[in-house]
Amino acid sequence: MTDNRSVLGKGVFESVVCSNKQIGERFYRLGLEFSGAGAEAFGGVKAGQFAQLDLSGTALPTAEAIPEDLVDAARRGIILRRPFSFCDVTRKDNKTRVEILYCVLGPATLRMTTLSAGDRVSVIGPLGRGFTVPEGKGTALLVAGGMGAGPLLHLAKVLTAEVPRMDVIAFAGAQSKTELPFERPLDEISQNLGFSLGEFADHGVRSHVATDDGTAGHEGLVTDCFSKWLGQQNLAAKDTIIYACGPEAMLAQVAEIAKNKGIDCEVSMERRMACGIGLCQSCAVECRVNGSNRTIYILCCEDGPVFDGQEVVFGS
Amino acid sequence: MEEGVDISVEFGGLKLANPVFTASGTCGYADELADFMDMNALGGFITKSITRKPRKGNPTPRIVETDSGMLNAIGLANIGLDKFIEEKLPALEGISGAVFVNVAGETINDYLSVVERLAGEKAIAGFELNISCPNVAKGGMSFGTEPAQVTEITSAVKKAAGEKVLMVKLSPCVTDISVIARAAVEAGADALSLVNTFTAMVIDIEKREAVLANRTGGLSGPAIKPIAIYLVNKVYNEVAKKNGTPILGLGGIRTASDAVEFVIAGASAVGVGTANFIEPGCAVKIVEGIRKYCIRNKIENMKELIGSLK
Repeated sequence: MTDNRSVLGKGVFESVVCSNKQIGERFYRLGLEFSGAGAEAFGGVKAGQFAQLDLSGTALPTAEAIPEDLVDAARRGIILRRPFSFCDVTRKDNKTRVEILYCVLGPATLRMTTLSAGDRVSVIGPLGRGFTVPEGKGTALLVAGGMGAGPLLHLAKVLTAEVPRMDVIAFAGAQSKTELPFERPLDEISQNLGFSLGEFADHGVRSHVATDDGTAGHEGLVTDCFSKWLGQQNLAAKDTIIYACGPEAMLAQVAEIAKNKGIDCEVSMERRMACGIGLCQSCAVECRVNGSNRTIYILCCEDGPVFDGQEVVFGS
Repeated sequence: MEEGVDISVEFGGLKLANPVFTASGTCGYADELADFMDMNALGGFITKSITRKPRKGNPTPRIVETDSGMLNAIGLANIGLDKFIEEKLPALEGISGAVFVNVAGETINDYLSVVERLAGEKAIAGFELNISCPNVAKGGMSFGTEPAQVTEITSAVKKAAGEKVLMVKLSPCVTDISVIARAAVEAGADALSLVNTFTAMVIDIEKREAVLANRTGGLSGPAIKPIAIYLVNKVYNEVAKKNGTPILGLGGIRTASDAVEFVIAGASAVGVGTANFIEPGCAVKIVEGIRKYCIRNKIENMKELIGSLK
């Protein structure tokens, strides 16, 4: 197993916006570039780690560009930073570029949409524990629910680069086609070959899509699609690992499927957090101690956001 | 240090290099913030609450952001006294500023067992008595809202604290904060810290449920600063000044200007809290900003500024 924390220390770094592209009705991809010490620190980011962005000074969009359901929320000022993981990290010429997949949900992400090339954003990171890159596993199964696709795209890139002989397969679910946070649907030929999503196909990763309403891919929950697929395979449990990121109910189901099959499983959790660096103690996740019924709270920011799926007491 | 400017302060018999602390519950046990700033640049440091036994804390959500502030209901989650001594205390010895241990409990005996065990530790300059936590079912704020209880717990802990400085942290959620402050000072408090957070609530209107699992939480951040300034000034005028009791002012401090405002209102020192979450390391910038303010205003000694409101 390799260390799943960044090699270099965390800190407060200034980044420069290089792109901020709308890829769906509510979905965007923000590109941030670091130089100097920030490039070093973020160059070592592990998939699943995150950073805290200061968006308090970022302007609101014009009134016409504010969705109806966010009109009230938009009027609220923000003071706390917001945590985001990365969907891609690239190093080039002593600079590091990170990409953040985000969905416009509240006053901070609404402000985020107005960032444009050249703007500066204060970032604290890299933070937390990322996904483990296993040595000696032949198959990695990535299960994403909605925005959970972000860190799993980064993981797909890391796994295919670092463990070339590994077979990596992704499952992405959402309520409907328009809720899938991807930019590029692939053509029929690619789809017939098992490559449904362009962003995963870029890394040579096959993918399956599920939507609750059946507007794309399998009709139903991604966990059902995943479970059905897994039942048809003949994978050796010890040779396989499952990674999941998405709504907590989905993570709970994936962890249950993994437990029944005896497959290792890592889940990326989400909690409200103020600081992201272990000060505020607000992002507690209830976990079992050594497989017993005794539980403790540990911090999503420092001990997570990636946890062993069998440790977490979901819905706590 | 800039020539001619002395920003050191006297605080309950301690000589502090500067008046800036990081406030309890916002700076962990010091190691967490050390990645972001030189802890030795602070006048003092206050640990998160320590209780006799470890506390798991409240279920989540434990925080919610509000206009210019946030609510928290952590529930005094901490590693407990034994682990604190074993794992955290050794590192605190290396901090040059005054280290205060914030102490909480459900009974007076809980407070006493923590203070008695730590009273002989040379790494510790004093104790901050938390009788104002709004987020626990037992103990906490219930000790800090009745003058007779404040007297009882303060005098008991004062005896146990020995030579260490005893600072009592006051809740703003009382009819008259000066009555509580007077009870603490008369029972032996060497210093007062104010204010703790304001009990508050945020409701999710779609679910018609409180956002926090604990339903209520403590409001902190810039939203409470003007109220905290008012209360510091009130306690300074009505209790602290005549008794020579120093005040640690806290409530929404983010900048040196905020800190200076508290000092003018009557605080001898200030605590930076919620701002640590947003800009870890801001406390050190505040120290420098206070120094610049003094130079700009030709204040040679910080003492001239304390309680200098006209």
